[in-house]
Amino acid sequence: MRRAWLCTPLLLATGGCNATQSTLDVFGAEAREIRHIAMILTVGAIVILAIVVALYVRAVRAPEGRLSHEAGMRMVLWVGAIGPAVILAALLVYALPAMRPRPTSPVDMVIRVEGEQFWWRVAYVPPGATPMLSANEVRVPVGRTVAFELTAQDVLHSFWIPGLAGKMDMIPGRTNRLVVRAEKAGRYRGVCAEFCGLSHALMAFDVIAMPADAFDAWLARDSVSIARSAGRGAALFDAQGCGGCHAIRGTSHVATIGPDLSHFGERLTVGAGILPPSVEATAAFIRAPQATKPGVRMPAYPQLSDADARMIATYLKGLR
Amino acid sequence: MTDRGKWHERLKVTLWTLIVPPILWAGHFLFSYLWAAISCAKAGAFMTFPIVFVAGTLLALALIGLSGWIAWRQGGTPGSSAPHEDGTDIDRLRFIAKSTLLLAGLSFVGVLFTVLPVIFLRDCM
Amino acid sequence: MSLHDQDDPAVRAAQEERLRKVWTPPKGLFLRWTDVNNNRVGVWYTLTAFCFMLFAGVLALIIRTQLAVPDNDLIGANTFNQLFTLHGSMMMFLFAVPMFEAVSIILLPQLLGARDLPFPRLSAFGYWSFLLGGVFVGGSIFFNAAPDGGWFMYPPLTTRTDLSGLGADIWMLGLSFIEVSSVAAAVELIVGVLKCRPPGMRLNLMPLYAWYILVVAVMILFAFPPLIAGDILFEMERLLNWPFFDATRGGDPLLWQHLFWIFGHPEVYIIFLPSIALFAMLVPTFSRRHLLGYPWIVLAAVGTAFLSFGLWVHHMFTTGLPKISLAFFSAASEAVAIPTGVQIFVFIATLWAGRVTWSTPLLYATGSLAIFVIGGLTGVMVAVAPFDWQAHDSYFIVAHLHYVLIGGTLMPLFAGLYYYWPLVTGKKLSDRLGRIAFWLLFIGANIAFFPMHLSGLMGMPRRVFTYPAELGLGGMNMASTIGAYLFAAGVAVICVDLCLSPHRAKSPRNPWDAGTLEWLAHPDDEDWGIRSVPLIESRYPIWDQKDFVAKVDEGRFFLADAEEGRRETIVTTVLDARPLAVIRLGEPSVKPMLTAIALGGVFILTTYHLYWAALACGVATLACALWWLWTGTAEIPEKPSKPIGHGIVLPLYIAGPAAPGWWAMFITMMADATAFSGLIFGYFFFWTRHAEFPPMAMADGPGIAWPMIALALGLASWLLTVSARQVHARGAVGLARVALMIGILASVAGIGAGLAGPWESGMDPQTHSYPAIVWTLVVWTTAHAGVAAIMQGYVLARSIAGRMDPQHDADLRNITVYMHFFALTVLVTYATIGLFPEVA
Repeated sequence: MRRAWLCTPLLLATGGCNATQSTLDVFGAEAREIRHIAMILTVGAIVILAIVVALYVRAVRAPEGRLSHEAGMRMVLWVGAIGPAVILAALLVYALPAMRPRPTSPVDMVIRVEGEQFWWRVAYVPPGATPMLSANEVRVPVGRTVAFELTAQDVLHSFWIPGLAGKMDMIPGRTNRLVVRAEKAGRYRGVCAEFCGLSHALMAFDVIAMPADAFDAWLARDSVSIARSAGRGAALFDAQGCGGCHAIRGTSHVATIGPDLSHFGERLTVGAGILPPSVEATAAFIRAPQATKPGVRMPAYPQLSDADARMIATYLKGLR
Repeated sequence: MTDRGKWHERLKVTLWTLIVPPILWAGHFLFSYLWAAISCAKAGAFMTFPIVFVAGTLLALALIGLSGWIAWRQGGTPGSSAPHEDGTDIDRLRFIAKSTLLLAGLSFVGVLFTVLPVIFLRDCM
Repeated sequence: MSLHDQDDPAVRAAQEERLRKVWTPPKGLFLRWTDVNNNRVGVWYTLTAFCFMLFAGVLALIIRTQLAVPDNDLIGANTFNQLFTLHGSMMMFLFAVPMFEAVSIILLPQLLGARDLPFPRLSAFGYWSFLLGGVFVGGSIFFNAAPDGGWFMYPPLTTRTDLSGLGADIWMLGLSFIEVSSVAAAVELIVGVLKCRPPGMRLNLMPLYAWYILVVAVMILFAFPPLIAGDILFEMERLLNWPFFDATRGGDPLLWQHLFWIFGHPEVYIIFLPSIALFAMLVPTFSRRHLLGYPWIVLAAVGTAFLSFGLWVHHMFTTGLPKISLAFFSAASEAVAIPTGVQIFVFIATLWAGRVTWSTPLLYATGSLAIFVIGGLTGVMVAVAPFDWQAHDSYFIVAHLHYVLIGGTLMPLFAGLYYYWPLVTGKKLSDRLGRIAFWLLFIGANIAFFPMHLSGLMGMPRRVFTYPAELGLGGMNMASTIGAYLFAAGVAVICVDLCLSPHRAKSPRNPWDAGTLEWLAHPDDEDWGIRSVPLIESRYPIWDQKDFVAKVDEGRFFLADAEEGRRETIVTTVLDARPLAVIRLGEPSVKPMLTAIALGGVFILTTYHLYWAALACGVATLACALWWLWTGTAEIPEKPSKPIGHGIVLPLYIAGPAAPGWWAMFITMMADATAFSGLIFGYFFFWTRHAEFPPMAMADGPGIAWPMIALALGLASWLLTVSARQVHARGAVGLARVALMIGILASVAGIGAGLAGPWESGMDPQTHSYPAIVWTLVVWTTAHAGVAAIMQGYVLARSIAGRMDPQHDADLRNITVYMHFFALTVLVTYATIGLFPEVA
C-alpha cells in the first residue's frame, strides 16, 4: 500500500516504478527508518520553500517604505537567524539518535563482502561455522540481524542495497561494518555506489531476502558433500584453465582470483548483475567479457568455439 | 577613547577582534573532532563522562560570551539612531562591534550544535 | 592645490593628457599581450573562463545524451569517464573559481576607486598560468588522455599506475599549476581590499562586494593549500612510488579524502559567496535604497567562511568513520544554513523596504535565488547523516549540487553579466533576449535537475555511463536530458546576445542609476581607471555625496595627475582608510608571461616524466622571478614624497606592515604554512591509523641528532636575518651584510643536516608510509631552507647594488616575514620527526 502511494506521482512523471533498487521501496528496517526521515525532511523543505517564496513575492510587491528599518532588522533576526537556528537544532535532536547502528550480538550472522573491479566476493560466516564462499549475490534472512563486514582489495567501492539500508564504502586496508535487518522477503538489487573505474556502472548484485528457515536450509546445503557431474563442459572448463581463477566446490578448482562459481546455476544474473542467467549470455560472456563489461579482469576466449562456450555455460548452469 | 574607561572599553574592537568568536568556535570544533577521532582510533572508546570536553565547551562558551559582551558594550554608545552608516569613528566602531556581536551569537550556537553529538552519541560505534 | 585649482579646463586637459600617456596600453601584435592593466587582464580572464564554461557545458550535453535512454551505447565507458571527470574539474577549477577572480580583477579597482590593483603584474602572471594550465587540462580530452578518475580523484584508483594513465598526472599537475595562480589572485585581492581603498572608505563603508571578496580570498588561502599538500603526496606516490595511499604499505586512501575535502567543501562557498556578493550590489540598486543590515551580511560572509571549514567530513559520511565524528560534521553542516538564511532574508528585507524597479538582472537574481533555496534545503537534508547514507553518491546529490551551483553561482553570474556589461563595454545587453534566455535557463534547469532527486532516491548511482531499463529510470533521465538541452539553449541565447553587443549603441553612463563607486566608469572608457581618487563619506557615494561624479571627473579629489609619468595608486590604512603612501604600479612587461610559461613548463614536463627539462624550466622560473623582483619591486623613488592634492603629501616609499608588499608576503606565507600543516596532518593521521607508529622495524626514525642540528641551523638562520634587519635599520649596513652572509651558510648547512637524518638512518620511502611522510616533511623544510638562502642572497645583493639602504629596507623586512614562517616550519618539522617517535 505504502509503495503504491509513493509510486503514484512517480508513475505519472515517468511511466515506471522500480521495485528492486529503490530507497523508496524498502524491505529492511534501516531503509524504512531513513525513508521516514526523508519524508519529514521533504515536507519540511517544501513548507520552508513556500514561506520563502511567499515572503519574496510580498517583498517585491510592497510599496516603498512599507517595511521600516527596525521592522526589517527584526525580520532578519527572527526569520533569518533565530528561526533557522531553532529549526536546525530540533532537526539535529531528532536525527542524531537515528545514526546509532542496530546493536549486534555474537550469534548474529556475519557476511563478509569484498569489492573488486567489478564484482563482489561474498563469504557467509555463521557463528561458529566455516565460511561459505559465494559471489555477486547476497542472501539475507528475514527478521534477523545481519552484520556486513565490508572491505576492498584493489580500489574503493561502496556497498549499497537501497531497499535494505544506506550505503557503506569498501576501502582497502579498512573493514567497515553495516548492520541491517531485512523485514520482507523478495528479490532486490544492490549496486556499487563509489566510482571504481571503467565498468563502475556494471557492478551490481542480486539480493535475496529469504524467510529465516529457508535461509538456514540454503546455507546448510554445502555441509553435505556436493557431487559434481563430470562431462564435456567440465572437461572444457579444466582444459581452458578456468580453474586458474575460479573455484567450484566439489572439484579440484579452489582458486580465489575470480568469482566463486560453486552455485553458479542458482544465480539470478550473470556478470555481477548485468546479464540474464541464460546459457547464451553466459557463453557470450565467456568468449568476450570485455564486450559487455569494459575493463573486466577476465581474459577473453575468442579461440573458444561458440558450441564449446555453450558447453561450459551449460555445465556452469548445472552447478546448483 | 581615553584611558579613564573601564578595561573592556579600553580594549578597542578591530578587524582582528571580529574573528575572535568564530576562531573560538573553530578551536572548539577542531578540539572536539580530534579528541573523538584520536580516542576512537587509539583507545577504541572515549570516556563516558568527558570532563575535558565539558570544561573545553564551557570555556569556549564563556569566551565567546565575553567577546560578545565587550562588543555589545562598545557598540552601545549613545548617539544618532539607526542605521549607523556614516563615515565617522563612532559608526565604524559600532559596525565592527555589531558584526562581532552577531558573530559571537552564531559562534555560540555553533558550539552548542557541536555539543549535541556528544549528548546523543556517546561512543565510537 | 585646493578644490579650485581644478577650475581651469586647460590644467585639467594637461593632466588628462599625462594620465592618458602613462596608462596607454602597449600596442602591436605581440606587445599588446604584455599589458597588465586590470581592465584588460580582467577581461581576458573573464572571457577565457567563460569559454572553459562553454566547453565544459558541451561535455555535459554529451553526458546527458548518453544517459537519455537506458542501455545506450552512444559513447563507451572510457569516454564517459573522461567526460564527467573533465566536466566537474573544469567547471570547478577553470570556471567557477577563476571566474570570480576574473570578475574581481575587473571590478575591484573600480569599486575601490583605485587606479589598479596593487600588483598588476601578479594578475597578469595569474592569468597566463590559468590559460596555460587550463588549455593543458581541457585539451587532453582531444588526445583521449583526459583524467578519468572523477573530479575528486580518489586513490587508489588514481594512484595505481596500472589502473590509471597519464590523465591522473595531467589533472594533478595541471590543476596544481592553476591552484598556484588562484593563490596569487587571492593575495592580490586581499591586499587590494585591505590596503588600496580610497581615503575615507572605512571598513564600514566598504562596498559589500569588497567584503565578500576579502572573505573569499582568505578562504582560498586556507582551502587551496591542503589540496596542494594532497597533490604533492599524490604525485609522490604516482611518480616515486611513495605509499601514502597504498594500504598494503601502511598508507590509507582516506588521507586523500580528508585533504581533498578540507579544500573541497570551502570551495563550494568560495564559488558561492562571490555570486551572493553580486546580489549585494544589484539588490540595493533595484530597490532604490541602501542595503538593510550591512553588519548582518558581514556576519554571514565571515560566519560562512569559518563554518565551511567544519563541513568536510560530510562528503565522507559513508566511509565508516566513527558515528560521533560524523555527527560533529552533521551539526556544523546544519549550522552553516543559518548565515545562508540570514543573507537571503537581508535581500528580502531590502526589497521589501525599498521600491523595486524590475529589470533583467533582478529577474536573474530572483530566479537564481529560487533555485538556490531549493538546493540549500536539499543541502540541509543531506547534512542529516542517515539520509545521506542513502542519498550519497546517488543522483540526489547530482540534483542537489547542480541546484546549488546553478542557483548559487551560474545564474547570479548571468545576473552580474547583464548588470555589469554596461560597465565594461558601455553598452547594455538586450532585455528581450535576456528574458528569453532566462526562462530557457530557469525551466531547463528545473526539468533537468528536479527529476534527479527522484532518480537518485530510486537507486541511480552517480558516475554511471549507463543503467538498465528494468530500473524504470528511463523517463526521468529523458526529462533530464531534455532539460539540459533547454538550459544549453538559454546559454546559447546569451551568447548570441553578447555577440550582437558590438553592433549596439552606447548606453548612458550609470544606466541603472546605481549608487556605488564602480558606476563612475564612463562608456568611453579611459585606461586610467578613475580620473581622481575620491574621498568617500558614504556607502553609496553617487547617491549621497553632493556633485560626486562631477568632482571626480574634474579631478577635484586626490592624485589627479601623473607628473612623474608613473602609474600610481594610493595606499591607505586597513581600518579607516587614512592615506599612507603613493605606490608606483608595475607597467606592461613580458616578465609575468615568461615566468608563467617557465613555471608551466615545470608542471607540464613533469607530467611526461621529462625531469631534466622540468628542472631546467624550474631554474628558468626562478631566474624570471628574480629578474622580475629585481627590476620591478621596492624601487627607491627619485624623491621621498609627493603631493596628492588638498595639501596632503604622501611618501613614495613604504616598508613594513603598512606596505602592500609586506602584506603580500605575509599572506603568501599563511598559505604556505597551511599547506605545511596539511603535511603535518598527514604525519599524525598515519599515527592514528597504526598501533605502532613509527613501525617497530624503523622505531628510531631519523634519529634525534641530525634533526636537532638542522633545527639549530634553521633557527640560527632566522635569528641572523632578524638581527640583520635590526642592525640594518640602525645604519650598521656592513654588520647586516655579514649577518646575512652567515645566515646563508646556516640555511645551506641546514639543508644538509635536514636530509642527513633520514638518509643516514637508511629510511627507504618506498617501503612504508612512515619513511615516506618523514622524507616529505624533510624535503619540504629543506626546500624552504633553499628558498631562505636565495632570499638572503637576494637581499645581500640588493644592499651591495645600492638598491636597499636603511631608509629603504622593504626587501629585508619582507624576507624577515618569510624567515618567521621558516622558523616555525623548521621547529615543527624537526620536533615532529626527531622527538615525536620518542614520546609516541
